Amino acid sequence: MSNQTDASEQLDDPRPATYYHLARAVLYREFLIFVRYPANAIGGIVVSLFFFGVLFYGGRMVAGQALTDSIEGIIVGYFLWTLSVGAYSSVSNDIGSEVQWGTLERHITTPFGFAPVALLKGVAKIVRTFLTSAIVLAAMILITGTTLQLELLTIVTIAGLSITSVLGLGFAAGGITVLYKRIGNWLNLLQFGFIVLISAPVFDAPWTRLLPLAHGSALLQRAMVDGTRLWEFDPLDLGLLVAVAIGYLVGGYLVFQTATRRARRLGVLGDY
Amino acid sequence: MNDTTSTGQDPTEQSTDDASFRLSENGDTTAVSASTTAEVTSEPALVVDGVSKRFGSGEDAVVAVDDVSFTIEQGSVVGLLGPNGAGKTTLIKSILGMVLPDEGTVQVFGTDVRDGRRGAYADVDAMLEGARNDYWRLTVRENLRYFATISGIDPDSVTARHDRLLDRLELTEYADTAVRNLSRGMKQKVSLASVLAGGAKLVFLDEPTLGLDVESSRTLREELKRLAREEGLTIFVSSHNMRVIEDVCDRVIVMSDGRVVADDTVEALLRSADRNAVQITSADIDDGVVRALEREFKLLAVEAVDGRRRIEVRASGDDLYLLVDRLREAGVTIDGMRTIEPDLEDVFVGLTGKQSGLGGAGEGWSQ
Repeated sequence: MSNQTDASEQLDDPRPATYYHLARAVLYREFLIFVRYPANAIGGIVVSLFFFGVLFYGGRMVAGQALTDSIEGIIVGYFLWTLSVGAYSSVSNDIGSEVQWGTLERHITTPFGFAPVALLKGVAKIVRTFLTSAIVLAAMILITGTTLQLELLTIVTIAGLSITSVLGLGFAAGGITVLYKRIGNWLNLLQFGFIVLISAPVFDAPWTRLLPLAHGSALLQRAMVDGTRLWEFDPLDLGLLVAVAIGYLVGGYLVFQTATRRARRLGVLGDY
Repeated sequence: MNDTTSTGQDPTEQSTDDASFRLSENGDTTAVSASTTAEVTSEPALVVDGVSKRFGSGEDAVVAVDDVSFTIEQGSVVGLLGPNGAGKTTLIKSILGMVLPDEGTVQVFGTDVRDGRRGAYADVDAMLEGARNDYWRLTVRENLRYFATISGIDPDSVTARHDRLLDRLELTEYADTAVRNLSRGMKQKVSLASVLAGGAKLVFLDEPTLGLDVESSRTLREELKRLAREEGLTIFVSSHNMRVIEDVCDRVIVMSDGRVVADDTVEALLRSADRNAVQITSADIDDGVVRALEREFKLLAVEAVDGRRRIEVRASGDDLYLLVDRLREAGVTIDGMRTIEPDLEDVFVGLTGKQSGLGGAGEGWSQ
């Protein structure tokens, strides 16, 4: 051991971290992992495009013009599905990974509290998912030669609120993973249920608007296919979208908290 | 003794008036270290009072921790020993809030964890055995900065501390290396560094030298002692490695079957060991001599070594002279004779009736 840094001991002036520092740390960590280890993101994009290719070319062979007529809707739905799957799996898998790594406890005992850390992680996941899904969207438009209305503010707002509800589902799944560690893979199957939610008949069965993704999917179709701008939507529609997003996010987080508390009572929090 | 009983509610849930957060002058909500309070009041770093934890119910119930109480002063290094299943891990988890105790209270720097979990744990961090504790995809320095922030400290204000930690733990040249590319021992050191990166005042270390080579283990032990001596760090260390406990700790708590069976300084525990013995080696010790000695002395061990016999006999003072006389009368020529100093392993076995789990006090067996 050397004593070369004895002088540096005089330089320590610890200052409390603010939420700004917390946000910077959490977002920067996500950025570093995304940039340094792009294989997962690239793999996800390739797999998404492969399945879309099978859907598009296979469907055209079977359904012919009928598929081509509804291709805009399929692209929008597929775009929202890739966003949802990315947000859901990254949050639920992230919590599972943190449990295995022994880092979840450090986030739970942080003086900031786990909620802000989890929220920031969720935001980081959404940003990352938007980047990869945007690439998938661009590729789908090129493959099919389709034209869509791409008003950025409208798309980001509606899609962002739509997958916020999925984040809530991700937290709930993560909480259940904390409690029952081997159930994570089964919960990943839920992401195929998002297809049903995205294609829910919100006009024929209005109550389905209360389900995650369903109402947002309908609004996104109007935005990207019909060209409806954010400010042209009925405020009630936007209000419902916000309410559903917040409701599922809060509900999912409460499930996570409840599961974590039960894990602490049972002594199964963490994996050490 | 605290007679708190389980209410069925989470006793460590965050209270809404958590004192560890305040509005700074610019309006930001700021995490405030509890160390300020700790430094001013000199509260004990940790008070565990009547903590009990039972898993299961009815006939299948297992009492993992049974009415455990102790106090740890600031700046001290306390070891936790116990055989597998003694309740050490459950106790540490209970203190850290990862397990909700059924009964009892835990105070960290004077704050009951039930009154303000965030505040109580603001100056606490832990390195848990068997867990990574950090992010392998980030570099060593990035981990330090991240976990300093998570601990409530602006990482830019403790770069000197991080440089010092890296230097003392011999990680400087690996500062910009991803942790995943380091050896197991190096990862262990990164884990410790990340725990200390935020300036925690109380750290829990579970098997801190696991995976380290002899030299790294020594380096880490020296650093722990220095941190306690010079920076007032309070360390609670659980290990099967008696050398670590004996070398680093001021005091040792021994658990068995969920209860504390000893709580004293290392020196006091060694003095209490009922193990004043001598080891005698001779080619003349046959079965007859052994039987004769057994009538007057307590033989602890008899073994054959290189065609000779080596016996361990409990004897001290006048008994020792008598033993030598008896051997001389039996015509035994003593080839070698030495006294056996008791070590912590002996104390541990005496208290718990079990081996420590990983072997003796030698340096290398757990590395």
